[in-house]
Amino acid sequence: MRHPTLTSSALSRRGFIAVTAGGLLVAGCGGGQGPGGGSEEGVGGFSGDAYAGPALTLAYWNGFTGGDGPAMQALVKSFVSDHDNIDVENNTVEWLDFYQRLPAAAQAGKGPDVGVMHLDQLATNAARGVIVPLDDLAESLSLSEGDFTESVWGPGIYEDQRYGIPLDVHTIAMYYNQEHFDKAGISEPPTDAASLDEACQALQAAGYQTPMWMPNQWPAHLMFLSLLWQFGGEPYAEDGSAATYDDDAGVQALTWMREQVEKGYSPDNVDIDAQYIAFKNGENSITWDGIWQILDLESAGLPYGIAPIPVIGDEQAAWANSHHFFMTSQAAEDEDRANASKTFIGWMSDQSSAWAEAGMIPARNSAREGSEFTDSPQASLGDQINALHFLPPVPGLGDVQPQTLEIGVNEGVLGRRSPEDALSAAASNATELMEQNLERFGA
Amino acid sequence: MSAVGRRDGVVAWLFLAPYLVLFGGFVLLPIVLGLWISLHNWDFTLPGKPFVGLDNYANLLDPGSVAFDPFWDSMKATGIFTLFSVPLLIVIPLAVAMVMNAKFPGRNLFRAVYFAPYVLGVAVVGVMWRFLLDRNIGAVNSYLGAIGLPDDIAWLSSIPAAWVALVGVTVWWTLGFNAVIYIAGLQDIPRELYEAARIDGAGRWAIIWNVTLPSLRPVTMFVTVVTLIASANMFGQSFIMTNGAPAQETRTAIFYIAETGLQNFQMGQAAAASWILTVALMALSLVVFAVFRARGALDVS
Amino acid sequence: MKGALKVLRYAVLVALTLLFISPLLFMLVTSFKTSGEAVQTPPTWWPDPFTTQAYERILNAADTPVLRWFFNSLIAATANAALVVTTAALAAYALARLEFRGKRVIFALIVSTLFVPPVILVIPNYEIVGRLYWLDTLLAIIVPTAASAFGVFFLRQFFAQLPRELEESARLDGANRWQIFFRIVLPLSKPALATLALLSFLTNWNDFLWPVYVLFSPETQTLQAGLSTLQSANSVRYDLLMAGAVVASIPVLLLYLIAQRFVIEGVSRSGLKG
Repeated sequence: MRHPTLTSSALSRRGFIAVTAGGLLVAGCGGGQGPGGGSEEGVGGFSGDAYAGPALTLAYWNGFTGGDGPAMQALVKSFVSDHDNIDVENNTVEWLDFYQRLPAAAQAGKGPDVGVMHLDQLATNAARGVIVPLDDLAESLSLSEGDFTESVWGPGIYEDQRYGIPLDVHTIAMYYNQEHFDKAGISEPPTDAASLDEACQALQAAGYQTPMWMPNQWPAHLMFLSLLWQFGGEPYAEDGSAATYDDDAGVQALTWMREQVEKGYSPDNVDIDAQYIAFKNGENSITWDGIWQILDLESAGLPYGIAPIPVIGDEQAAWANSHHFFMTSQAAEDEDRANASKTFIGWMSDQSSAWAEAGMIPARNSAREGSEFTDSPQASLGDQINALHFLPPVPGLGDVQPQTLEIGVNEGVLGRRSPEDALSAAASNATELMEQNLERFGA
Repeated sequence: MSAVGRRDGVVAWLFLAPYLVLFGGFVLLPIVLGLWISLHNWDFTLPGKPFVGLDNYANLLDPGSVAFDPFWDSMKATGIFTLFSVPLLIVIPLAVAMVMNAKFPGRNLFRAVYFAPYVLGVAVVGVMWRFLLDRNIGAVNSYLGAIGLPDDIAWLSSIPAAWVALVGVTVWWTLGFNAVIYIAGLQDIPRELYEAARIDGAGRWAIIWNVTLPSLRPVTMFVTVVTLIASANMFGQSFIMTNGAPAQETRTAIFYIAETGLQNFQMGQAAAASWILTVALMALSLVVFAVFRARGALDVS
Repeated sequence: MKGALKVLRYAVLVALTLLFISPLLFMLVTSFKTSGEAVQTPPTWWPDPFTTQAYERILNAADTPVLRWFFNSLIAATANAALVVTTAALAAYALARLEFRGKRVIFALIVSTLFVPPVILVIPNYEIVGRLYWLDTLLAIIVPTAASAFGVFFLRQFFAQLPRELEESARLDGANRWQIFFRIVLPLSKPALATLALLSFLTNWNDFLWPVYVLFSPETQTLQAGLSTLQSANSVRYDLLMAGAVVASIPVLLLYLIAQRFVIEGVSRSGLKG
């Protein structure tokens, strides 16, 4: 019996007693004092010198729970052995939980000192006062726009201050089963809609009934966004006031996704993650997923190939996101802690080529010339790297998207609604929520 | 009853104090605070919490607003789940208890086995069944296929299969608990009633209908109300097994409130939603009590 | 006829037992498989190869201290049950036996909250717990749910039914209220107290929503919250998930084996009059 959550079973065993709930009720009003504003003592003034303060332990949060986890742990170990007086406690939490816990923990004084978060979450956390600007750190590291692709460097800025130091860029790719391709006589990975269609038919002829499964939950909306950009659309207005994916471009994108199901290339209802598990099991031949899966596929020993996603639309484009280091206002309150944190971030961001071994694309232009990257599987994404699109830095967008776009894509792929209806419902809801967010985070 | 009103004054309040501190702080205060929160745009993580009057309630009651559909869909989900799970959880455990209502070897063992899932907790049960019910690699579909039934039912991502899965797992999980209570209730029925009925020539079904069930009424009422409340508060199974899928159709009202208030930090909206749900649940409890009272199940001491 | 019915009864019960045991067994079996075999169909009942890699991973990882989660749940549920019984017994005794001004109002107030669904408390209690800096501590799991209106009501009914003579004669002997309560009333109430403690323990143990949102560090999480985190972090690794679930279940089942009689009997009493 599932007893109700907070009080034990609310029940009278002996009968109904009508009561008047009288009594004195102390009206405690939480008026709401300011949360995580932090005194911001540690902001600014970092000179880049090695940390020389008292020994301390930094709490470091990140969401690298997958194949990229061990690589991050190795980097942290390396940092700790290089620095006598800074120890690092690594707490890895799945991203969805991470973004729920970070503001709550920060409020409770139990948050991390440093961490990694996605580019599109920086604005929200900056607006909440959870993280602090790192302009001085960026300067001392001589990091400047020239070192990074503009699309990565730009969005780390919220209200004219830089809140994140870029670590990497990650995008989605097309994975295919080399053995299946050989058997079907496909010599090169498909590069556009037509060749993808041919490949699927060849695979079906070779006995693979459902060669390309279409997810309707993660990462379906990432695929949708990529296709939307390929067809020339944009998902959101730059100023964060509206969702714009219900235009022709969006409808074309979602229609193509649904068509793969209708053509029989994919089963009708793919459970979450099932398309990826099936790929690993050799049950299907082609799947689109993030490059963060590379390590997992390597360890599974599957004969896989990786290629840029085909150009289904008019031009090449792919969704991308980026991991950024941040420092919390909690850490900023203590100067030693702040300096240690910045030392950590500075050191780590220098390692971005080692991070290529986790399957990521280093954020720094120079690191992409190094052999760790050029020898890596993800290097074969080549041109796609120049066609990466990021979501705009709008506070609250991270919460809006799961409630709107993800639902719309889910319904469209499942065929529960026509692509037009699914997208227009999602977009109008999203626009309303975004307007509310502008008010909420605005001032 | 003594006519001296204050005889035990101070002592009584000392006895009451520990409870009242907890009660005041974590029951009374939150009730009022919740109401207060529901009148604001309250984000736990932001300093500003502007007063918005009844806007949060209006949003939930206005079909045009963006909050309307998610909330009422979640209420519908709670309703569907409660509707299907409660009758099954009242009847099946009773049947099992009746089968077990005799002294036979192994009986305590069986009882312990059926009760065990409850002790495991919803997380273990949910994680395990999510694996078994996976459409592609789950054992359930595999065995269904082996006996000739369709082997690709999307137990966790399609309607109505997801409801069957959620209700089924809930029954599996808590059948033992209800059965144990029924068993105790059955044992409490005085033998003489059975004897008398048998002497009157009543057959097995007549005995059940005229002796067993009426005697069980208080226990049945207990089980019904507890099950009802638990079903209306269902969260864990949805969260772990389907995560609200497909497209949030199995997202219950509590799930909606938790997601809105504790994940997206829109606490004002969530508080208003919880007040609406509360009113609905209280009304439901009243109805159930009225039904049982009318059927003479209660004796008010 | 009787014999056939007996056989039928056993058939039904055994079938039911299979229905309960086989999923648990399969969970156990899967926990000893490799991640690849765990997701194979048709499912295998004997792992090949038989490996403890999942357990090694779970038990050695710093972010999945499953045993710690078990102990946290144990500590929290025990402390919560103790707090519930203590506060409820004291309050119930006052309401059952003592005379004071405002008694009826207090009782009415407490009972009126029996029908208040707990959902109403979730959001504001989160805010309160946050302000008290109890977020991510076991206090948040132990204290807020300890004010049990059901407990007070249940115990008050029980105390009211105890024969007054024992208490009266103690009174005449000069005992004060505390002594009467502790030396006479409580010992007589053991079954009721045990039932309440048990129900509170089980409720707290099974609590899911609250711990999931209120606890976030791996060291502080309780079993239900921790398993949920484990699942979201390893959604495709069913070998790990099953191993985690097994590690979570074994201590519970052991406890259950030992205390099973007590538990079931305690729960049985909760539905009965008197």
